[in-house]
Amino acid sequence: MSTQLILFFILAVIAILSAIGMLVSKNSVYSAMFLVLNFVTIAVLFLLLNAPFIAMVQVTIYAGAIMVLFLFVIMLLGTDMAAEGISMPWQPPIAILLSGALILEFAFILFFAQQDVLPQIEAISAAFGSPQSIGKLLFNFYLLPFEVTSVLLLVAMVGAIILAQRETG
Amino acid sequence: MDPALLVEWLVKSGVIIFLILTGFAYLTLFERRVLARIQVRIGPNRAGPLGLLQPLADGIKLLFKEEVIPDKADKVIFILAPVLTVIPAFVLLAVIPLGPEISILGRSYSLSLAGDVNVGVLYLLAVASISVYGIVLAGWSSNNKYALLGGLRSAAQMISYELVLGLAFIGPILLANSMSLKDIIQAQSRVWFIVLQPIGFLLFLVASIAEVNRAPFDMPEAEQELTAGYHVEYSGMKFALFFMAEYGKMIVVSFITASLFLGGYLGPFVDKLPLLGPIYLLVKVTLILFFMIWVRATWPRIRYDRLMALGWKVLLPIGLLNIIITAILVILVGGY
Amino acid sequence: MTENVEVPKELDATIQSMDNRFHDIVTLDDRKSYTGYLVPVENLIDFATSIRDDLGYDYLSSVTGVDYFPEEKMEVVYHAYKTSGGGALVFKVQIPREKPEVPSLISVFPGSDFQEREAWDLLGIRFSGHPNLTRILMWEGFEGHPLRKDWKEPFFEEEKKPYKNRWPEGGVYRIEDEVPMGKNVKYPLGFDPQKWTPEEQTTFKEDMDSEAGDNGSNGSAMHTDQIVVNLGPQHPSTHGVFRMVARLDGETVVDLYPEMGYLHRNHEKIGERNTYIMNMPYTDRLDYISSMSNNLGYALAVESLMGIKPPERTEYIRVMMVELTRIVSHLWSIGFLLNDLGAFFTPALYAINERELILDIFEATAGSRMMCNYLRFGGISRDLPDGILETVRELVNERLPRKIDELDTYLTENEILRSRCIGVGVLSKEDAIAYSAAGPVLRASGVSYDVRRADPYSIYERFEFDVVVRYNGDVYDRYLVRMEEIRQSLRILHQVVRDIPEGEIQTGKALYQVRVPAGEAYGRVENPKGELGFYVVSNGKPNPWRYHIRAPSFINLTALGKMCKGEKVADVVAILGSIDIVLGETDR
Repeated sequence: MSTQLILFFILAVIAILSAIGMLVSKNSVYSAMFLVLNFVTIAVLFLLLNAPFIAMVQVTIYAGAIMVLFLFVIMLLGTDMAAEGISMPWQPPIAILLSGALILEFAFILFFAQQDVLPQIEAISAAFGSPQSIGKLLFNFYLLPFEVTSVLLLVAMVGAIILAQRETG
Repeated sequence: MDPALLVEWLVKSGVIIFLILTGFAYLTLFERRVLARIQVRIGPNRAGPLGLLQPLADGIKLLFKEEVIPDKADKVIFILAPVLTVIPAFVLLAVIPLGPEISILGRSYSLSLAGDVNVGVLYLLAVASISVYGIVLAGWSSNNKYALLGGLRSAAQMISYELVLGLAFIGPILLANSMSLKDIIQAQSRVWFIVLQPIGFLLFLVASIAEVNRAPFDMPEAEQELTAGYHVEYSGMKFALFFMAEYGKMIVVSFITASLFLGGYLGPFVDKLPLLGPIYLLVKVTLILFFMIWVRATWPRIRYDRLMALGWKVLLPIGLLNIIITAILVILVGGY
Repeated sequence: MTENVEVPKELDATIQSMDNRFHDIVTLDDRKSYTGYLVPVENLIDFATSIRDDLGYDYLSSVTGVDYFPEEKMEVVYHAYKTSGGGALVFKVQIPREKPEVPSLISVFPGSDFQEREAWDLLGIRFSGHPNLTRILMWEGFEGHPLRKDWKEPFFEEEKKPYKNRWPEGGVYRIEDEVPMGKNVKYPLGFDPQKWTPEEQTTFKEDMDSEAGDNGSNGSAMHTDQIVVNLGPQHPSTHGVFRMVARLDGETVVDLYPEMGYLHRNHEKIGERNTYIMNMPYTDRLDYISSMSNNLGYALAVESLMGIKPPERTEYIRVMMVELTRIVSHLWSIGFLLNDLGAFFTPALYAINERELILDIFEATAGSRMMCNYLRFGGISRDLPDGILETVRELVNERLPRKIDELDTYLTENEILRSRCIGVGVLSKEDAIAYSAAGPVLRASGVSYDVRRADPYSIYERFEFDVVVRYNGDVYDRYLVRMEEIRQSLRILHQVVRDIPEGEIQTGKALYQVRVPAGEAYGRVENPKGELGFYVVSNGKPNPWRYHIRAPSFINLTALGKMCKGEKVADVVAILGSIDIVLGETDR
């Protein structure tokens, strides 16, 4: 148990530091790389929580696919453009306001509404988080959301193709 | 935590790293000798008997080379990129069983670091998907147009072919009814999956060659067009790391191919003599590696746009079709 | 070949018959041993258009200038041919030396582009109307025009030519030792090479830019940036120090122009200070893959000035060597085309394997494998050694046909090769002629033009062979043309080794110092790379007054930009490989 705790704290610190690093980096490529690091640490945290499937999916999709695309765009734009950016004077106050609201929300749930929200923790079964159980859950209980999501993705894909097609005429 | 288990893991990790490192060193020699034979030459045979010390000589030479960092390069990322490239090659082998369980002094050991993880295949995909970072970052940080073009090409290429790779994985998964590589290998004890999944095997072969940027898909480093692509500005040991990553990945991909389609460590008499397992596996891996070198020696490079078209318009539909057919057959005939 | 004695009558008649517009204007060049017509500057474009459209002289082979220093005039010499075959129509423009300016023929013959730039660069002849009259072989900061007779190489060039003995009384003395490195360069006033930066690249024409911009943002707000990439001069697939400046839109080439001169050594100037025979080994260094054919071109030019012919046996040996050279060059080209496509040296090494056997023959005969220096005026340096004919016979009749078939089976139907080559780098028939493309590039575009057939030299009219033609003008067809030309060369060689007579190898006495009467001559041969021409002007002195080379590698590059436009970056390399240049010849 203690090993796990130590690991958890190390990972938590890395995750928080990388998140901060992402926010404060001037260079957008560095930001992207901090975010990737963040995703990977979160994936390891999932592993600690006995959820290897989610951990792997986290790495594959977020770190392996989405962030590569981000990086791609940043590189294509050229860092000079991306680094300078457009200064948005209205951004900081709104960001502070929103994050304040988020903290309040967290505090409320943690300190006042905890009993109502969190269900009783059950003993984790061996099959928890395994591909089989997730598959069963996905295709039985969450079938409708699953299908809707896939249609959404399809629509997005078709849209992207149409956008790209128009360019060449 | 059990100290004995910790020691076991450390030893296994050491073995895997040793395997990749020596494998990398001697794969370069193997490649040069095979290429030379195919090209009616002799190949390196001066350093040591049969040129066996050639990798050592190359390594020492690279160590003593000057490390050049371009003036306008992004230094942190420039140094980080080769490291990022080489790590995936080392960690991928963790989930591949190198042999059946063996027992020494009354304790049984499985010949893999995490062979029975039930998401082994996903692990492979996950690590493969982040291996693109090193190349992209190397291309970007060098501040060189060739390198940038190489990095962009490789990003696009690897993302495209990962998809095909993932689809090719699904055939064996369906047949073995498991994502654990150990189970997949065990499921091949009667028939190798190359027989049941010939299309899947071909898809996997093509996609994996593209994924490790080998000829005829060596677009990112296309010497004739992009001089050396993403690692054009690298020298000395940093260059050697890229080299190591490429050959390490070749080895790992061969291990995966052997495990998924060629029965992994399985072979005659493995039940009685478990130590035969790793030998069988190495033979299979060597054969696949030979095939890759053979392809490199004989074929010109496919053009970049054709490569993307091949990935998206040919391999992807075939992969999808293969999955559908396999799934239907599995349901009709029953799991293997 | 050459036409040094008098103007052929029928040619004269054709000129006379052309609607008499030029009858009073154009005059016959009546200097002794000179040919062609003198055209006044103001009628040049009309005349060129007219001979192209009315008389069918659609192929401008060579453009060059001559500096007649003491007479205070310069001359621009044009050699035009018909792609249907036949001799040259030579026309010249004479201009004052102080203000040498002629209208550019680029609108009539686009192939004159690089040649006019070269003449501007080296001789200072200004071609008005040329869209990009910049230096092409010398570097941009260079002062003066080195081929002008009053331009002297700083600290180095002596008045007396050829130079006096460098081994006086047996002691070696090199003038280079007197000149510290870098001191033999003269800079323009106020020029500092350390601080000099090239001007903004103006070579990308403005209309190209706007055109590309339109394509990029056709009907939508999407805008894509183009990047300019230098392919070379240090680049593994430019076959030497050669640079292509490409403007890319993603992977697609929007515009491309070649930049050469990195290997420039002013071959022609050195040639003009050497004696005639001293130039023979020097021609080896032009297209160093095919030194034997270079020798032949030069020998033909000088022999026609001297009015001699080599003996029968020599003619046969010459043809044998030249055809072997063609096989060498084409094998090399095919092998390295595959390399440019990304094959890892295997086809190239298979091809080179056969090349080695031919080089063995050269070594046995000429004493050298690459720099053969074999031909002499009116002969060859030495007869074939005993038994070498047997080797050639075996090679030509047994081994090479088998090996060529082998290469053919391995390569021609390869799926990747076909997909990379078919339809790539297309040069239409009209463009190929207009851009003065030569050799396999021209023939792959559907023009059945081979100097060996169209204007036979040496003893080529005796041999049976086909002129190989393909019609698509793409990389694949150039490859096929080369492959088939190897077979045709083997056919010629087969006849040569069958018919070769015994006899003398030298007309007259072999001399170190030949006497070349005053006059001009243009010797051209079908080199493996294309039509190689030597324009030699003699004034009776021991060294040539003008020594110009029409280099096929150089002129074929004129069409490179056109072929590459709209193709992918990877194809540029293949297209360059299919043109098959040798930088020794391109830069001279």
